[in-house]
Amino acid sequence: MSSDVRFTDFKSDKQPTWCPGCGDFGTMNGMMKALAETGNDPDNTFVVAGIGCSGKIGTYMHSYALHGVHGRALPVGQGVKMARPDIEVMVAGGDGDGYSIGAGHFVHAVRRNVDMTYVVMDNRIYGLTKGQASPTSRSDFETSTTPEGPKQPPVNPLALALASGASFVAQSFASDALRHQEIVQKAIEHDGFGFVNVFSPCVTFNDVDTYDYFRDSLVDLQEDEDHDPNDYEAAKEVILDSEKEYQGVMYQNENSVPYNEQHGVTEDMSEIPDGAPEDAMDLVREFY
Amino acid sequence: MAADLNWAIGGEAGDGIDSTGKIFAQALSRAGRHVFTSKDFASRIRGGYTAYKIRTSVDEVQSVVDRLDILVALTQRTIDENLDELHDGSAIIYDGERSWDAEIPEEMKGIDVPLKSLAEDAGGAIMRNIVALGAACEITGFDVEYLDESLEKRFGGKGTQIVENNKEAARLGQEYVQEHYDVGDLGYDMETTDNDYVLLNGNEAIGMGAIAAGCRFYAGYPITPATSIMEYLTGRIEEYGGHVVQAEDELSAINMTLGAARSGARSMTATSGAGIDLMTETFGLVATSETPMVICDVMRSGPSTGMPTKQEQGDLNMALYGGHGEIPRFVVAPTSITECFWKTIEAFNLAEKYNTPVFLVSDLAMSVTEQTFPPEAFDMDAVEIDRGKLVDDEEVQEWLDSQGRFRAHAATEDGVSPRSIPGTTDGAHMSTGLEHDELGRRTEEQEIRVQQVDKRNRKVETAKNEEEWEYREFGNPDAENLVISWGSNEGALVEALEYLEDEGVDVRVISVPYIFPRPDLTDEIEAAEETIVVECNATGQFADVIEHDVLTRVKRINKYTGVRFKADELAEEITTKLTEEVPAQ
Repeated sequence: MSSDVRFTDFKSDKQPTWCPGCGDFGTMNGMMKALAETGNDPDNTFVVAGIGCSGKIGTYMHSYALHGVHGRALPVGQGVKMARPDIEVMVAGGDGDGYSIGAGHFVHAVRRNVDMTYVVMDNRIYGLTKGQASPTSRSDFETSTTPEGPKQPPVNPLALALASGASFVAQSFASDALRHQEIVQKAIEHDGFGFVNVFSPCVTFNDVDTYDYFRDSLVDLQEDEDHDPNDYEAAKEVILDSEKEYQGVMYQNENSVPYNEQHGVTEDMSEIPDGAPEDAMDLVREFY
Repeated sequence: MAADLNWAIGGEAGDGIDSTGKIFAQALSRAGRHVFTSKDFASRIRGGYTAYKIRTSVDEVQSVVDRLDILVALTQRTIDENLDELHDGSAIIYDGERSWDAEIPEEMKGIDVPLKSLAEDAGGAIMRNIVALGAACEITGFDVEYLDESLEKRFGGKGTQIVENNKEAARLGQEYVQEHYDVGDLGYDMETTDNDYVLLNGNEAIGMGAIAAGCRFYAGYPITPATSIMEYLTGRIEEYGGHVVQAEDELSAINMTLGAARSGARSMTATSGAGIDLMTETFGLVATSETPMVICDVMRSGPSTGMPTKQEQGDLNMALYGGHGEIPRFVVAPTSITECFWKTIEAFNLAEKYNTPVFLVSDLAMSVTEQTFPPEAFDMDAVEIDRGKLVDDEEVQEWLDSQGRFRAHAATEDGVSPRSIPGTTDGAHMSTGLEHDELGRRTEEQEIRVQQVDKRNRKVETAKNEEEWEYREFGNPDAENLVISWGSNEGALVEALEYLEDEGVDVRVISVPYIFPRPDLTDEIEAAEETIVVECNATGQFADVIEHDVLTRVKRINKYTGVRFKADELAEEITTKLTEEVPAQ
């Protein structure tokens, strides 16, 4: 495909079945725009989607894509990038997919620092199963399975990422389209694992973490001239601040060396010879 | 068959038993002798009984037997554990200077060698096992120079001094026996030949087969007895542009493999039963997204943690039926170490020809056993690669619908859809574990659901007709007694035939490497008077499958002690089983 890719090229002809007003519309639009803006096209892009409302994104976008098993989107994305360093990889999932069933993979994906982008559509609720507590739900958030609230603190995904050795930690808000796109774009451009937690409100089942709530409470780090994303200590302070909700790039390690580079994994693994490799008999001779 | 010699070294884990055994096996192989090794080991890093056993002959050997001729015993337990296999005239090498008082059975010959002191004379107590190898050379009349070659291979990287010290240690052991014992009356005389052999185990053969087949990506999580496939590939696959990644768990390993496979790399993961349990979650996705990949299960004793270092063929049902829903798949079970190599290559071709997961099922016995082969047994020039319907930029055009969308799950006549990989222009498409239409988009429409299920099953039917699902055959093809086996029992069965022949029992052996699809054995079973199915599990999972195929009862020989079949033991079992009543219909 030529370089004049428009973001609509990343759109499939399937109409989303998300509830009208769902944050996922804005999240997806920003992702598509960021992909187009960074010079990618659908034929060199691989999108991996998890399970849940967010998981439907693979169907609504047009690219090479896999809609996989619940919680395992990150391993799939890493496999793609390791085998095909030439391909742009974007993984999208929800808070349940990433911080509950897939939490183990999240920690290790962050550690590996594969050059890919991970967008979590965080609505602090299980929407597709019709409203149960998620790992990011507030401790007093009443749901059908937690009538008195989960009574446990929500996971702080940004802190989890930072503690796992993240090289890029950011947060955005689906409704702030321009900022969301900019932040995802920075994650794509980052040399390593670009992690963006996106506040993507569920208008049907979450009446606490609403558009209004985020509009009123969100502090944009861009407006704080003192915040330097390369400053680990400053990032820590913002991320662990339980009083406020932030958007922006909290942390970016300038010296990040992505996995493929670290391990010398640079070749397109899809290309192989018609028979055994030329010097393969050497492998046999090793056993003399 | 020429006379065979059975040798073993045993002690505690951490005593260097494994590497000593390997050094001796390598020396025998260098001398043009065939070798078949086996290991007794426990799941611990130090302590406990462990042994490395070698059966060697100038003829091919492919099984262990219940006989031990020479034993290097570093502990009393080594002697006690092997009393059944030791016989009149067996020689036991031990170190009388060590704290334990070796109790050598009267009818056996105790060879007391001050292993530790002599090793210290050569440069360090650490070489005491090498002193024992020197002693073993003397007892068996085996030229110590072959041992030198093996020591060079093993220690060459550590500098000449280390190599020379080890050679000296071996000589001190040899000379000590020469001076203090008359071993001539034991009657061992190790013949050598000019043949060049390679010595490798089943997991190494699988790893080598994977590289030969163009596998470039491997993700795995360490688990006995599959880890050595990963260890083999690490450091080698990179030479061919590939990569090995240690995942955080098996869930991740299979999904990384899936990602790499979907991006066009020939990809594999390997694990054992407990890991297969976790991977089962993803089987259905691999199959419905029609992703070609190889999933290797090196079986060990289950269920649960079971006996992690013991043999069992207990995962057959899991490989055939594991996972919810109906999952098309192929199940291939190599029957020997060379077959581990060839079947791995075939598994990759099957996966890509039919865009289907292929289960490569091996087992612990085969994974730790080293065996000698002429190098031509792994003729790389004979390796063929078939990438199936992988489409390029031009071919992709044939598979676009009227709106230019790639039909990744096109319902073709043979059931096989085209496969486009990232980077292929106009090939972009979605795949999913949800039921989907030809474009990979979710659907619950009845007609399309049926179309896609039928299409996936049709691939398997096509494969059944197009591929050769042959069995391997040994013994007398016209014999009235038929013995059927799958997986690694083949070697022991083939050798059992010699014992059976001596007894006058006529047997036809059918060794089946394909579990699904599998050869139809109806005619063979109907032609036989008696049919016995041999396998290392308690319930007879393969026998069940055969009975179902042929609608007749078979007799069963099952072993689930955690130890593989031995040739002489099998011969005896078969003879007994033949006299039993046929089980009720």
